[in-house]
Amino acid sequence: MAAGDESALGELYDRWHPLLYSLVLSIVRDARDAEEVLEDALWQAWRQAASFNPSRGGVGSWLTSIARSRALDRVRARRRARDEVSLDEPEGAPTLASAQPGPADDTEAADVRVRVQDALALLPREQRDTMQMAYFGGLSQSEIATATGQPLGTVKTRMRLAMQKLRDTLAVLREEAP
Amino acid sequence: MTAPMTHDEIRDLLAAEAAGVLDPAERAALTAHLEGCAECVDELRVLNDTASLLAYSAPVAELGTDASARMRARLVARAAADRAPVAAAFPALLVNAMATEPESVIPITRARRGGWGGWLAAAASLLLLLGIGTYAGRLRARVAELESATAALRSERGRLQGRVAENERTMASLSGPDVRVVTLAGGRTAPNGRMFWDPPTGRWTFFAHNLPAVRPGREYQLWLVTADHKISAGTFRPGPRGDAMVQAEYKLDPAALQAIAVTEEPAGGLPEPSGDIVLVGATAGG
Repeated sequence: MAAGDESALGELYDRWHPLLYSLVLSIVRDARDAEEVLEDALWQAWRQAASFNPSRGGVGSWLTSIARSRALDRVRARRRARDEVSLDEPEGAPTLASAQPGPADDTEAADVRVRVQDALALLPREQRDTMQMAYFGGLSQSEIATATGQPLGTVKTRMRLAMQKLRDTLAVLREEAP
Repeated sequence: MTAPMTHDEIRDLLAAEAAGVLDPAERAALTAHLEGCAECVDELRVLNDTASLLAYSAPVAELGTDASARMRARLVARAAADRAPVAAAFPALLVNAMATEPESVIPITRARRGGWGGWLAAAASLLLLLGIGTYAGRLRARVAELESATAALRSERGRLQGRVAENERTMASLSGPDVRVVTLAGGRTAPNGRMFWDPPTGRWTFFAHNLPAVRPGREYQLWLVTADHKISAGTFRPGPRGDAMVQAEYKLDPAALQAIAVTEEPAGGLPEPSGDIVLVGATAGG
């Protein structure tokens, strides 16, 4: 794709859009916004393909990072707009926090989901909550400290311990990932 | 002046960077450190890949087949058009190619042997080629612009069609013959809500009013309560006047629902309710 072959973008779409759409929708919680964000994220990946740096992570890591970042930007922009306009705009359409594999889930992805869910379940609840607030909520460590009433140092420790445990538990999956 | 962070202090930042929540000042220190520390670069790569796997813990959602096909087509069309601007440089490419490809050199070489007539013919050919090249370049750039505009219009049409379909689904989920209504009431304050549930389609549409503003970093979370589980139907923030609407899709056995509840939780929600109940309403059978 870095060479500009548009068919590569189609293949990238086929391979990654189910995961990226689920990720984006879980953050923006609105189907229309999720579609736009997904398309924007894949377009950004196409335009910035040359900047992909394997030393910073695999393709999946790069794509989820772009998609997550665009989704969090959309949520922040929506909140800013709502605050500025001061209208009672309805919130979007949240999805249900169900981890059940859906029709779009192929066998391999379903297996990864189960193993990631298992790894998260092994974390102490406060560490898991901290990770999820950061990753899906886009909250900074300071904001998590405010939201949970915990000292900032505690939040940082929870984040570090959670990542280290996930790093060890998911080592096999990570090595299999593209 | 603040002392530079040590290697161990920097290592402690890697997890937060991978999770995307590092403060800007700390990120600047980390970036500077990474320039000269292969060990931390390797560790960050591993943690980045680990964090990316968290995407798999998101609830599975499916983009509709039609919407997916449209998006794929739009992206590939835009990508094809995106390559077209290269053609705008066509005249320069042509001149360069003439200087290197033997076939292109032939007219000029012949001109040297053929006197003024040959020179003029060669010059005319060159001008013609440059003119055609310039025109072709402009034409291709224009085609690229039109393709881009067409892709944008298709995108907008798809978005509007999606909104119309969504509105139609919302109306159906409020007015269908099987729709059930659960009314929710608050405690000391006066918030209230109403859930419209269409079991055949699994569509849930929730309206709430007079909700107090949530504290920073927190959101309301909507729960479907059964005998065995409390199922999250998403998180939301009310508008300035305390109103909110939430829509969700989830198939549930009509006999299983016992109550609908709203709690205040950390932003992003939790797998199980932990905060105070702001609204609750039992079903007729619950």
